[in-house]
Amino acid sequence: MTAQSDIDEGLIEQALHWQTTLESDDADWNGYMVWLEADPRHRDAFDAVALVAATVDEHKDAVRALSEAHVAAEARRPGRRMWLWGSSAAAALALVVGMPMLRAPETAMTYASDAEASRSVSLAGGTAITLSPASRIVVHGKDARRIEMNSGEAYFAVKHDPSRSLTVEVGHYRITDIGTHFSVNISDGGFRVAVSEGAVAVSSDSTEGEVKVTAGHQLMARQGEELALSPVVAAEIGSWRQGRLSYSNAPLSLVAADISRYSGKRIIVDPALEAGHFSGTLVIGDGSRLLADLAAVMDLSVHAEHAGNGDTLRLGRAGGR
Amino acid sequence: MSLGEKDGVEALYGLHQAELRRLLLARTGDPAEAEDLLQELWLRVRQRPSGPVANGRAYLFRMAQNMVVDRLRERQRRMARDRRWADHATDFAQPGIEPIDQHDNAEQRMIAREEVATLTSAIANLPDGARRAFELHKLEGLSHAEVATRLGISKSGVEKHMAVAMKYLRRALLDWGKG
Repeated sequence: MTAQSDIDEGLIEQALHWQTTLESDDADWNGYMVWLEADPRHRDAFDAVALVAATVDEHKDAVRALSEAHVAAEARRPGRRMWLWGSSAAAALALVVGMPMLRAPETAMTYASDAEASRSVSLAGGTAITLSPASRIVVHGKDARRIEMNSGEAYFAVKHDPSRSLTVEVGHYRITDIGTHFSVNISDGGFRVAVSEGAVAVSSDSTEGEVKVTAGHQLMARQGEELALSPVVAAEIGSWRQGRLSYSNAPLSLVAADISRYSGKRIIVDPALEAGHFSGTLVIGDGSRLLADLAAVMDLSVHAEHAGNGDTLRLGRAGGR
Repeated sequence: MSLGEKDGVEALYGLHQAELRRLLLARTGDPAEAEDLLQELWLRVRQRPSGPVANGRAYLFRMAQNMVVDRLRERQRRMARDRRWADHATDFAQPGIEPIDQHDNAEQRMIAREEVATLTSAIANLPDGARRAFELHKLEGLSHAEVATRLGISKSGVEKHMAVAMKYLRRALLDWGKG
């Protein structure tokens, strides 16, 4: 591999053509070998194409997540595509490891964590956010006062400052902070807000007024159900940041949705368990043991199901099949 | 050609050995490496769980192709590791005795992250057409024909965009590897 020299684009095009052609079963391997043998530069071109393709394939999901973040920012800021992206990898690396973001006026910036790791985000005004794995938020404006939350779970630590407020939007709900620490979790067609310090107000276009949620309480909003306020142990809120999932009387479907996010597996809760609730603590680890642990604690069974796309696990009654 | 048994794949290998050697030589340009890869291919063929193989020749050829790419990838990672070692050179980290650090997951993750960052940054800086074609094809999984339809350009236009993207990304990955 002549690593230094630049490769003619025409040759890269030929290499790409061969790479595509070779995917078919009746590919012309002889023609390919003749092409390779004709000129050593053909080999370099093919190396280049194959290596880039392999590297991209390996990181496809992570690159796509980051590129989407970029596209989201771009869409809201036409004509200034380059504002965030220097040509150096360092600029992008800063994004990956979650450094405080560049401040550009009237921008929207997406932060997403991958399936394996939590991620910390520091925003203007001293707001610190921890994203649990496979979570995603969009921060609007340079003063970061409006945050859309799209998926997963996030813990917000907001500095008390009477002159500014922070709004977290989940669907058409708005969570307005009053200088506080709280956790928002989106799963199972709804969301819940749990407050560990201070208080938040929750409102929506479709409801009158707002619901105040104070420390040690959580508000659960699930599709087709009334908002439900219930007490929680404040110290356990956001305990996933320390590697534990703690629940008090949480619907099993909701616990399953969390486990699904951490394990990357689809989980179906048997309809017979629909009314089931779980109180207790699970150790997250690498996510792979969560469901088995839950099943053991609750004396339930886990079966693998092969329903079309990939792994699905069914949580059911022990002994029942 | 379809042969259902382990013996079948081994026989296929025997049948195509000369061609495979030719392919590996053409692909690597290095007789010693080609021979080495051929050995490895033979071992893999023998370890392969038995089962039917459709189109055995293409199957073996693809295996050979993939092995070459795996080595290129390994070389690319090694360059990145070497660079990291150079960056953090200490008295006990002498070049040449660096262990093959399969267990240093933290470092591997770091390298993976840097690769992701390098790629993302390079993609973002591509000319618009090349970037869109690349994203649709490589990240969204659309075929060249589908990309052409989506962007309202010809298939050869897509290929040109892809060539620009590949050239640019190769450069970025090389620069990153060299540090």
